[in-house]
Amino acid sequence: MESAAEMSWRGYSLAERDWRWQRVREHGAQAGLDCVFVPLCIDGKNLHLSLEQARGTRSDCRFLTQMENAAVIFPTDGRPPIVISDEEKGNGWVTEVRPLDGSWGKAMAEALIEARMERGCIGVSGLRRGKMTHGRAIAGVVNHASYAEVLQRLPNATFEDATDVMGFARAIKTEEQIACLRRGAQIAAAGIEKMAEVARPGVEEGILYARVMRRMLELGSEYYPMALYTGPMGSGRLPRFEDPAIDRRLQPMYRITNEVDAVWGGLIAQELQPILLGPIPNEWKPVIELQRDLYEAGLERMKPGTPFSEFMDFINGFGEKRGMKSLMLMHGRGYGDDGPLFTPQDRGERNREVRIERGNVFIWKPIAMSADEEIQFSWGGCVLVAEKGGEPLVRRTPGMVSIV
Amino acid sequence: MPWKPPKRAGATVLIWAGYSLAERDRRWKAVREKAVRAGFDCVFVPLGNGIDGRYLTQLRCSSMVLPCDDQKPIIIADRSSHNDWVPDPWQTSREWAEPMTEALLEAGMERARIGVAGLKGGKYTHVRLPAGVVNHTAFAEVMRRLPHATFEDATDVVGAVRYVKSDEEISYLGRAAEIAEAGIDEVIKQARPQLDAAVLYAAVMERMLELRSEYTPLALSIDPIGTAEPRRYTNPPIGRRLEKGALLTDEVNAIWGAQIAQESQPVLLGSIPDSWKPVIEAQRELFEAALGLMKPGASFGALVDFVGGFGRKRGMAGSSLLHGCGYGDDGPLLAPHSEGQPVRDLCMEQGNAFVWRPVVTSGDGRISFSWGASVIVTERGGERLSKRSHGMVSIV
Repeated sequence: MESAAEMSWRGYSLAERDWRWQRVREHGAQAGLDCVFVPLCIDGKNLHLSLEQARGTRSDCRFLTQMENAAVIFPTDGRPPIVISDEEKGNGWVTEVRPLDGSWGKAMAEALIEARMERGCIGVSGLRRGKMTHGRAIAGVVNHASYAEVLQRLPNATFEDATDVMGFARAIKTEEQIACLRRGAQIAAAGIEKMAEVARPGVEEGILYARVMRRMLELGSEYYPMALYTGPMGSGRLPRFEDPAIDRRLQPMYRITNEVDAVWGGLIAQELQPILLGPIPNEWKPVIELQRDLYEAGLERMKPGTPFSEFMDFINGFGEKRGMKSLMLMHGRGYGDDGPLFTPQDRGERNREVRIERGNVFIWKPIAMSADEEIQFSWGGCVLVAEKGGEPLVRRTPGMVSIV
Repeated sequence: MPWKPPKRAGATVLIWAGYSLAERDRRWKAVREKAVRAGFDCVFVPLGNGIDGRYLTQLRCSSMVLPCDDQKPIIIADRSSHNDWVPDPWQTSREWAEPMTEALLEAGMERARIGVAGLKGGKYTHVRLPAGVVNHTAFAEVMRRLPHATFEDATDVVGAVRYVKSDEEISYLGRAAEIAEAGIDEVIKQARPQLDAAVLYAAVMERMLELRSEYTPLALSIDPIGTAEPRRYTNPPIGRRLEKGALLTDEVNAIWGAQIAQESQPVLLGSIPDSWKPVIEAQRELFEAALGLMKPGASFGALVDFVGGFGRKRGMAGSSLLHGCGYGDDGPLLAPHSEGQPVRDLCMEQGNAFVWRPVVTSGDGRISFSWGASVIVTERGGERLSKRSHGMVSIV
């Protein structure tokens, strides 16, 4: 893989910007909105329900502006957006940035008024959780004090939730975005290779964590904490660490599972690889095999136009045919907290009617379980939805890595 | 309890939670006392204010109702998390508005004066966020459900407690400063012309992670010495190699005991130009002289004035660059562009911890130098937590 210094990628093109803006405009107009409004959102350190959710708090502004923190007013009639930021300068996409002058609420309200939205129908992205974005944040991601000031200064405007307007615009990836996600997936796979190289009985878990993060950073990934789960095989649910663990060492027959994420072009890719520090027990083998078949069968059925209801029922019923169980575990990939979300915690009932579309990118990591659910196994990575089904962004072999 | 915990929860994320119960009791007591003085019936840390939540609970994500009387606080946590401080919190999954409302009602706050931490930016904490950190939709629902209660900003109630560190906190800050110094040692060890800048970034982060710092970004610039506005990276630089004559400036942060310390060490890939030496020397003198001022009772206005006057006497310009050390976004904030007008009258207290890295600029404005470290305010003045020598490191 090319080193970070050799990479010539310097950011998304203006054509990509225009594509995104046009898509949001069209979605907003179809929803009957006069503008789409991305208000000031809470930072991810303070609103931290999960790694994904925290990264996703300000994802709409990154999608529209490539800036880390901005508010955006996006008229649906074709006028250019107004961008407000505490950053002093704009960038290649947004050359003019409106300064704060001390107050986000005042600056956002004045910009809305300037955009002639005093009596407008204003669609607010991030006010509540959506189907395709902010799915983990039931109460949304919007900052209270500044948004309350906007409401107070525009008493005759109508404000409604437009999280899905933005979310469905974000759900389809362009070639540029897919290239970035592919590079991210390659970096994550390199992180997994490093993990398999370093993980041995006796190694401090904090050292393992540091080595894997170094490998991904030196390839140019933004820092995105790896989630690491370790513990004895057969000990049930493993504890999760998102920073280097203190006073823990790997032991023989330890199971290591992980979510290894890498960020390129602002987009988060993820690969997942269970590792066992010992031989794979016989009772695990049918479950691992089931998961591999489940993963592959899911790829075949991940075709444009398929409703998630059909897909989910197929996946969740797959294990039963072999006297075992299976459960869907997948969600979108993008700037953070991308949906639709299907996890053991969020079974995804509210997303049943959403359809799979060409250009979606998912993390696909279904779970296979023994009949008594004592053995649970998940393996996966990023997949792109193409005409013929799901295509992994990086080729790896499903299964558990055994280090003997 | 009216709030019913969820049937399913995500995996529990284990985070460091090693402060003593005495530390918990100190923090809770101090917040209660300040809240009583401010006339509140309770302090409410709502969804969105994760940093104050961690300070008061040691949980990764929490909300808290801390009544000012002798009632036990009610704490809401997710992912089945709990710890020695909070052995049995209310559990939630993704829903926060409902349990927060129920917690306030359970604590008898229907008609109370509720102090909300994080509603706005404060003097001591959340200093870079004038609009605060509170989640709108959840908080609006809480207010709707308690129409007879009043909700007022209490950011400085919690902030004033966070402002003064206990011995336990200072010991953890000391360890964090040591880790940050190890990160700087790694910069010096690795930095050579032609090195992939991402490799440098990765090596420094690895060094601090292997010493078990929690993640917090390294800020790095690598442009040639004399560049007017060097580009600042908070992630690995892409497409860049270090070049001869590059001036590496950094903010090397490390976290231990949830406390963030910072050290800053300029490194030049070349010989230090003669024209820079008097500026570096003046910055060293300024750094040290200001430590002498950092005593309990000294105002930040006095510090800012001293720094400005110090530069003028030497035909240079001095400016203050200072902020608090702690759980994150700690104040007060003195930056060259603001010079701390809102906190001029605020006084230092024993146990304050700051990142102190004043800037000295040559008379013609072409050379600017800053070097900095984490310091603690003591009766004797400011004391550094780290041991590095002052100055610019030259790698020839």
